Amino acid sequence: MRIAPTFNVAYRALRRNKMRSVLTALGIIIGVGAVIAMVGIGNGAKAQVEAQIASLGQNVILIFSGSTTSSGIRTGWGGAGTLKIEDAEAIRREVSGAIGVSEEVVSTTQVAAGNQNWFTRIFGESADYFDIRQWPLSDGAPFTPQDVRSANKVCVIGRTTATQIYGNENSIGQILRIKNVPFTILGVLTPKGLSPQGVDQDDIVIMPYTSAMKRVIGGTTLRNINVQIGDPSQIAAAQQQIISLLRQRHNIRPGRDDDFTVRTQQEIAEAATATSRVMTVLLGAIAGVSLLVGGIGIMNIMLVSVTERTREIGVRMAVGARGNDILTQFLIEAVTLSSVGGIIGIICGIGASALLSTYAHWPTLISIGSIAIAFLFSAAVGVFFGFYPARKAAALDPIEALRYE
Amino acid sequence: MNNGSLVKLIDVHKTYRTGEMEVPAVRGVSLEIKRGEFLALMGASGSGKSTLMNILGCLDRPTSGSYFLDSADVSGLDRDQLADIRNRKIGFVFQSFNLLPRTSARENAELPLVYSTQRLSHAQLRERADRVLASVGLAGREDHPPSQLSGGQQQRVAIARALINDPEVLLADEPTGNLDSRTSVEIMAIFQQLNERGITIIMVTHEQDIAAYAQRNVVMRDGVVVDDRVVPQRSDAATQLEQPLPSTL
Ligand SMILES: Nc1ncnc2c1ncn2[C@@H]1O[C@H](COP(=O)(O)OP(=O)(O)O)[C@@H](O)[C@H]1O
Ligand SMILES: [Mg+2]
Repeated sequence: MRIAPTFNVAYRALRRNKMRSVLTALGIIIGVGAVIAMVGIGNGAKAQVEAQIASLGQNVILIFSGSTTSSGIRTGWGGAGTLKIEDAEAIRREVSGAIGVSEEVVSTTQVAAGNQNWFTRIFGESADYFDIRQWPLSDGAPFTPQDVRSANKVCVIGRTTATQIYGNENSIGQILRIKNVPFTILGVLTPKGLSPQGVDQDDIVIMPYTSAMKRVIGGTTLRNINVQIGDPSQIAAAQQQIISLLRQRHNIRPGRDDDFTVRTQQEIAEAATATSRVMTVLLGAIAGVSLLVGGIGIMNIMLVSVTERTREIGVRMAVGARGNDILTQFLIEAVTLSSVGGIIGIICGIGASALLSTYAHWPTLISIGSIAIAFLFSAAVGVFFGFYPARKAAALDPIEALRYE
Repeated sequence: MNNGSLVKLIDVHKTYRTGEMEVPAVRGVSLEIKRGEFLALMGASGSGKSTLMNILGCLDRPTSGSYFLDSADVSGLDRDQLADIRNRKIGFVFQSFNLLPRTSARENAELPLVYSTQRLSHAQLRERADRVLASVGLAGREDHPPSQLSGGQQQRVAIARALINDPEVLLADEPTGNLDSRTSVEIMAIFQQLNERGITIIMVTHEQDIAAYAQRNVVMRDGVVVDDRVVPQRSDAATQLEQPLPSTL
């Protein structure tokens, strides 16, 4: 059979009932559009979570004070106050493969300079912190291990804090008053932007943890310890080593629960991406149902079309069309409906995601892969739902079809 | 082939089964039709003419008996093989024209070529359709859809469609059944002209005056052939058209 005229026949059959074709395609347009937009939203959320977890640094192990449930981190970690500075020093000393360790304390407070003041987050860290987090400075220099040892009144600040207090002025070397203690600003961090929870990561002051504990926050325990391992293959071994070291240091008898929690970056990433993956699948499934409904619409219209054109089918068979020719013709019609609907649906879905990210500030991510899958899927819907009507047409008896009124 | 016999039916039966009931529509027909004949198949309604035509046209298979078309036994062929035979060797003309609606005369005429094994370019298709449309007197109407053509013109498009693949035989089941008498004569003029060019025609009719345009009349009753004769005084449609129509028509 000649394929080009068959496409032509399908095209003309669809054009003959314009309104009907448009409404049928609309079912697919909505279905594919919904799939594209929903998967875009899900993937956008996932990508953002992944980016945030990557920003924790490379090959990082996090140790929190307080115990956790096995499924995740219990609220209030850090509150139990079981991690000591000496624990961190022991890890630095004894854990093989640890190339960076940062003691961390966290607080929020008012900071001031001149007649400007600003409420911001205070992080106390070791000098390794900037390497662990892979967070370089855009201006100035970080504080040094010497600053940490001496609990010097120095700090680096995030871009938001800098602009809020100093505007466009250079802030390096200026004095920032934190709880009435004058700190010298050594540098400004490169901007990181918003976290998925909407926290401005650049609204921050980072100082030696010794200075923070002694001059700003008070207290003697750490909220957590960040450890960076040089060789990724040693992470699991290092995790075990940290656990037994801390159990020994905290005098925890065998059989008793840890009073701290050790999580690798990998574990945190898996928990977080599993959540967003479930969300993507759910959104996609809901959208998929509307695509299914669109497919049923195609089947319905194709069945109507086969009945209406019974005589035409009879004529075609009388002049030599084989069953397969008729089957192909109706399949092409169904697939044309569904894939044209699919293409328009993809465009609409991309448009909808663009609107969502512009006006609702939802992160969306549409990959070439998901576009290709959506297109192939819409074509497959045409084949699947077009097959039954097409086979029905192909199985008609030419004599009865010619006699059909 | 060598003896010039185009169609050969040997003791053909066709029995329809509707539930428990068996309806014998054709009950033992043997018939030989030579190349170049113009045959009219006659008989009362329900005598089995259409059933026999469907078998001759390879739209249906006999329940028993043999059918040789062009010396090849086609009584045992499957659906697809029959479709190919119809495409290459048979042209159909129906009582109700059966043109595709909202489709130009040219595209209607081209239809059999769509399913042909011949590979023709778009221009060749068009050229051939226009030529065959002109041969049935429809030059200048190539772009008209059926709704813009008279009944006689529609039947001419159907004849053009039947001829486009150069078939061995033209089968027409009551081709003038939906036409007025003058238009019927016009269609008969075309048939006679085609027959003179050597095309074999088998036509079903129950009208005696229409059957008179054929060379040979075969009469059926209750599924069997009861008469087979050469038409003694053949009507000539072309000369009739030149004169005012006789009132008998
Ligand atoms: N598809 C069918 N199923 C059952 N009976 C049929 C069918 N087609 C025709 N018949 C019967 O076969 C007989 C011959 O019909 P047909 O060949 O159409 O006669 P004609 O064309 O001479 O009027 C009639 O009795 C008719 O009722
Ligand atoms: Mg009949």
